[in-house]
Amino acid sequence: MNPEFIVFGICGFVVLSILLIPLLRANLKSVTALFLIFLNALLTSVPAIGALLGNTFTLEIFGGLNFGNILLEIDPLSAWFILIVNITLINGAIYGIGYMKAYEKQTGNLSLHWIMFVIFHASMLWVCMLHNGFAFLIAWEIMTLSSLILVLFDHNKANTLQAGVNYLVQMHIGVAFLTLAFIWIFVTQQTSGFQGIATFLQGPHTHWVILFFFLGFGIKAGFIPLHTWLPYAHPAAPSHVSGVMSGVIVKMGIYGIIRIAMMINTDALIPGIMLMMISAATTLYGILNAAVHRDFKKMLAFCTTENIGIIGMGIGLALIGKALDNQALLIFGFAAALIHVLNHSLYKSLLFFAAGNIYTKTHTRNMEMLGGLIRQMPQTAILFLIGALAIGGLPPFNGFVSKFLVYSGFVEAFRNQDMALNALMIIGITILSMAGGVSLLTFTKAFGTIFLGEPRSEIMHRPGEVSLLMRLPLYAIVLIMLVIGVFPVLVMNPVLSIITGFTPAGLIMPFTNITGMLTLVGRASLLLIVLIALLYFIRSLAFRRKPVEITSTWGCGYIAPGHAMQYTGKSFSKSLAKLFGFITIENKKYKELKTVSIFPSPRTYTSCYLEFFETRIIDPVIRQFLRLFNYFTFIHNGKIQFYVLYGLLFMVILIILSFINVL
Amino acid sequence: MRMISLLLILITSFFFTGIIIRTKSILSGRKGPGIMQPMKDIIRSLRIGSVYSKTTSFIFQLAPTVYIATILMAILFIPFGNQRGVLSFNGDFVFFAYTLALGKFFMIIASLDTGSSFEGMGASREALYSMLVEPAFFIIMGSFSLLTGFTSFVDIFSAMHFGSYVTYGLGALAAFVFAIIALIENSRMPVDDPKTHLELTMIHEVMILDNSGYDLGLILYGTNLKFAMYGALIANFFHTPGYEWYYSIPIFFGVQLAFAVTVGVVESFSARFRMNHNPQFILMFTSISLLIFLGVLLLTGKII
Repeated sequence: MNPEFIVFGICGFVVLSILLIPLLRANLKSVTALFLIFLNALLTSVPAIGALLGNTFTLEIFGGLNFGNILLEIDPLSAWFILIVNITLINGAIYGIGYMKAYEKQTGNLSLHWIMFVIFHASMLWVCMLHNGFAFLIAWEIMTLSSLILVLFDHNKANTLQAGVNYLVQMHIGVAFLTLAFIWIFVTQQTSGFQGIATFLQGPHTHWVILFFFLGFGIKAGFIPLHTWLPYAHPAAPSHVSGVMSGVIVKMGIYGIIRIAMMINTDALIPGIMLMMISAATTLYGILNAAVHRDFKKMLAFCTTENIGIIGMGIGLALIGKALDNQALLIFGFAAALIHVLNHSLYKSLLFFAAGNIYTKTHTRNMEMLGGLIRQMPQTAILFLIGALAIGGLPPFNGFVSKFLVYSGFVEAFRNQDMALNALMIIGITILSMAGGVSLLTFTKAFGTIFLGEPRSEIMHRPGEVSLLMRLPLYAIVLIMLVIGVFPVLVMNPVLSIITGFTPAGLIMPFTNITGMLTLVGRASLLLIVLIALLYFIRSLAFRRKPVEITSTWGCGYIAPGHAMQYTGKSFSKSLAKLFGFITIENKKYKELKTVSIFPSPRTYTSCYLEFFETRIIDPVIRQFLRLFNYFTFIHNGKIQFYVLYGLLFMVILIILSFINVL
Repeated sequence: MRMISLLLILITSFFFTGIIIRTKSILSGRKGPGIMQPMKDIIRSLRIGSVYSKTTSFIFQLAPTVYIATILMAILFIPFGNQRGVLSFNGDFVFFAYTLALGKFFMIIASLDTGSSFEGMGASREALYSMLVEPAFFIIMGSFSLLTGFTSFVDIFSAMHFGSYVTYGLGALAAFVFAIIALIENSRMPVDDPKTHLELTMIHEVMILDNSGYDLGLILYGTNLKFAMYGALIANFFHTPGYEWYYSIPIFFGVQLAFAVTVGVVESFSARFRMNHNPQFILMFTSISLLIFLGVLLLTGKII
């Protein structure tokens, strides 16, 4: 395909969406948006697949004096992320058509939403393709702003606005760091192209720039302690947007980190170890918080943090492998990270869409209000269950493949002689296995509380299964997940071509034993499915002639159990929360019962879990700053004449300074 | 020859809980049931009809099958001396652990499916304890792969027998931790008391309160299989360097017998811990496995 054709095509479809969508009827807006997104996806997927097969696609645009020549390139890494973005966004748009049916009356709002959805998609494609620092920043900013508007769809709610502002501010802190890093590169290398970063990172004194890049991209990705926007923005957004945000927008941060990580050549050890430690902490912290929350979208948001941690551990391993010149470790690390990016975008969007189905039908995000939904929404229940199994990394689904690669990386790193590194690896193994256990607890809790048992409260709307449009993309995702789980080599081969592209000397190590190992993992997963099916078949044969009786649940001698007596989600995770009380801080509000009160008065008891970083670190620091800045409020007193005076004063100071030769 | 460990584990599983029960009855001076009694109970369960709660869904009926399938799957990875298991690849211990976790996932949601408050309580404890016990297993397997340089069960176990007494010592320590892991995973004393009569203090027993007939039989047999599986793992630490079959098979059954008798003795002479002491007890084994890791670091000369 002609390179120019792709560039103009994407821009053209975006402009078309702006012109066309506001004019259409409400039910056509979403379909048009889906159609345009599909066209954009088609335009970029073809060269992306080509890039993975070895034909890198490049185009140089003259960008004026400030930008220099803007290089547009789809190399295997970009291609990988472009394909992930396309899959997730097409699924998201199809799901969104069904999800937004309920909001058809808000025509203006809806037009804006769908236009932004198209722009959001295009901006992410640009982010993946642009290899020029400043152009990249512009695409990055468009991506942030369009996603902000997507989050703010429900702008009448104060919570949503608050989440939106939080997101906006935090993202711009990130952009500030990125800008700083890119300017640093520009000043030292005289070019804003990514090639400049590579040459810069080969020189000395690179730690500050690497740190700035990490902070800038890390805020998007949600590493602790930069993750605080995630648990607000994801629940506030409409479900198809949260699915897409969690599925791909945080991955753009990962894209940036991998892009930089692949360029680090000298002294990759320290960044690798640091990334590894932060990621390990992120994994454990994210999943512990996910375990305790009762808002199921917030739970999923924290779970995203956990998965980002796992991806980060992969990148950390790869960097350590690069520093130690251990190619097997490099392959394990990058492969784990890249495959986990794909896996997480699949099952997290699946879970968010399933959560959206629940929200559409019940209008609550509080899992303690729900229960027994498996009878009304059996298909959503099965889809959620599959997502839960996959995200826990359980075979035979795709989540296991990437976790397996991370474990293999840890074990591979044992070949190194350094004691500290070995200890780091055993800490990584411990944290990964613990996180697996906690995620089992989290998702049994979520699935059990939402879908199983009896309804815990009277819900106004009688829930039923959602429309086909809101189930179809979920089935598609499940299919892809199963294929990856059973045939992991299908994704491993393109990933190996990505890694080869970034190893200048080429991969010396034969990687057939790694692919051979993954083939066996896939076969074992297949065997597991066959075994379960076989045993279930035997069971159904055995049940043919047996009497089956249906009664009520055994109440341990109590004959009138009610739905309020069921175990709640909170009590399910209570013992874990108590064990890790220093991270999952419980905030209880109630009045102590006084001994003198004879007659009982109405009492309330509320309890919620607070975020450690927000309540213990960020908020106190901000409070101190605000106290300090309060002393300067007299400066902005709202009177224009004073502001003019400040201008004059400034000039006077300048004159005085130049007199005494300071300037 | 790859089937040998599967066959031996299946044979052991028929007797394992019988031996535990026999030990307990001898130690408490009762006549007690015969060794085959637990198996007879299981076969009876498999043949009779079932009762289901009207709250439950298909999850409840599917879960026992998944549970037993995952245990069988995990057994396929267990080697016998230098004989590979049916399945074997680099890093197979990860698959082993995660497959078992899949079965556990289904058992937990099945117990939540009944909507019973007691079963939810048991499920919550089961989830917490299996989370706490997971690191111990992974640290031990990680340490041995550090020691031997291999990452699959069979390679690790065959490389460990290079004759040094220290590796046998480490193996004994690991066998101890594996034995405790087996006790925790099967919800036996001192973490859980399978013979208790109060639902509030149960873990595993309360989760399966509503299961009956064929499904209950599967779950009970699952416990037997799990014990035999961990026993086989432990037996692998004590093989002779030459792997002569006339030593290996008696060693295998000897270790299984010793393990079963030990479980019986522990259950006869100890009381169950208070629930809130259990996490500390379980985490203690994570620290013992860290001790093994330190030992391995010493052995490989990476520390000092």
